Amino acid sequence: MTLRHIATCLLLAGSLSAWADEAPIGYVKTITGTATITTGKNKVPAQLGTPLFQGSQLKTGAKSSMGVTFKDDTVMSFGSDTELTVDEYLYAPSQGKLKLGSSLTKGSLNYVSGVIAKLQPEAVSVKTPTGTIGVRGTQFVVKVDDTAQ
Amino acid sequence: MMRGTLHYALLATVTASLLAGCATPPPPQNQSYVTLLKSPDGTVGKVVVSGAKGEQVIDQERQAALLDGSQAPAPVDDAKFQRDFGEAVAARPTLPEHFTLYFESGGAQLTAASLAQLPSIVERAAQRTTSDVSVIGHSDTVGKAELNEALSLKRAQAVAELIKAKGLKVDALVVESHGERNLLVPTPDETPEPRNRRVEVTIR
Repeated sequence: MTLRHIATCLLLAGSLSAWADEAPIGYVKTITGTATITTGKNKVPAQLGTPLFQGSQLKTGAKSSMGVTFKDDTVMSFGSDTELTVDEYLYAPSQGKLKLGSSLTKGSLNYVSGVIAKLQPEAVSVKTPTGTIGVRGTQFVVKVDDTAQ
Repeated sequence: MMRGTLHYALLATVTASLLAGCATPPPPQNQSYVTLLKSPDGTVGKVVVSGAKGEQVIDQERQAALLDGSQAPAPVDDAKFQRDFGEAVAARPTLPEHFTLYFESGGAQLTAASLAQLPSIVERAAQRTTSDVSVIGHSDTVGKAELNEALSLKRAQAVAELIKAKGLKVDALVVESHGERNLLVPTPDETPEPRNRRVEVTIR
């Protein structure tokens, strides 16, 4: 079974699985070293094509990095020892439902905003332990040094 | 004598580094901060940082601000930028690519120009190490909303079948219908508009 098959099956099995009414909100696109995606109690090693869901926690190990693309074209990539949780993700433009809230607790993030930030900038934020970043349609990088807190 | 010279040299070095230190205070080693970059489309947007110690707006490229909001934005030097963000920047995936395909009125028949675009969609997807593709169908406002919902689903499915038949290989393919709810060109109801009769294909 190739990765491609697994991903397709995951999609097909979506309606039967624990994520019942949730389709993937994005996929892993680049990876070096080790990283994991944890959704609820389900923790999987990140590989090319691994799906992300609302609530997923993305984590990279030492000397590792990972890039993901969301279905609204938001692109995020992480350096080593990074933890980011996708707290809220809503993307239904034709119903006006848009939200992308995430929390970066440590590490580094490169963020390229997507359609959600374009249509509804105030619906996009990145929380960190010391402050919150509001995104007004742009690219930025952010570092959270958890030894400084 | 030797010892005296050494002492003097040492003293000079320490003094020099102290002076240098005073002139440009070294930034704290441990800090959490955000740096604004130029967007891939060439524009520079804006980020707002709100922390316990204040709020800062960054609207210039390569300006940085602490996440607690305590300091006005300041430039970040290249060495520090590379050290803090080099890995994350290098891991950035290829950006998504978009194609818009158009249809003859009332059905799922692609225009000749759009039909000719299909091979390049398949080719572009194949160039990625991993890709997921979404195919979203739309209609103009001629006819009932429910019928347009069904029609634009039919359009999206037709495109999905055509690109699969041409050998599209992806990790995931999502087909959706937005009917007349997501017009590219806003029009009143019952308005024929070729630019609204479309399927949007995104390769990510």
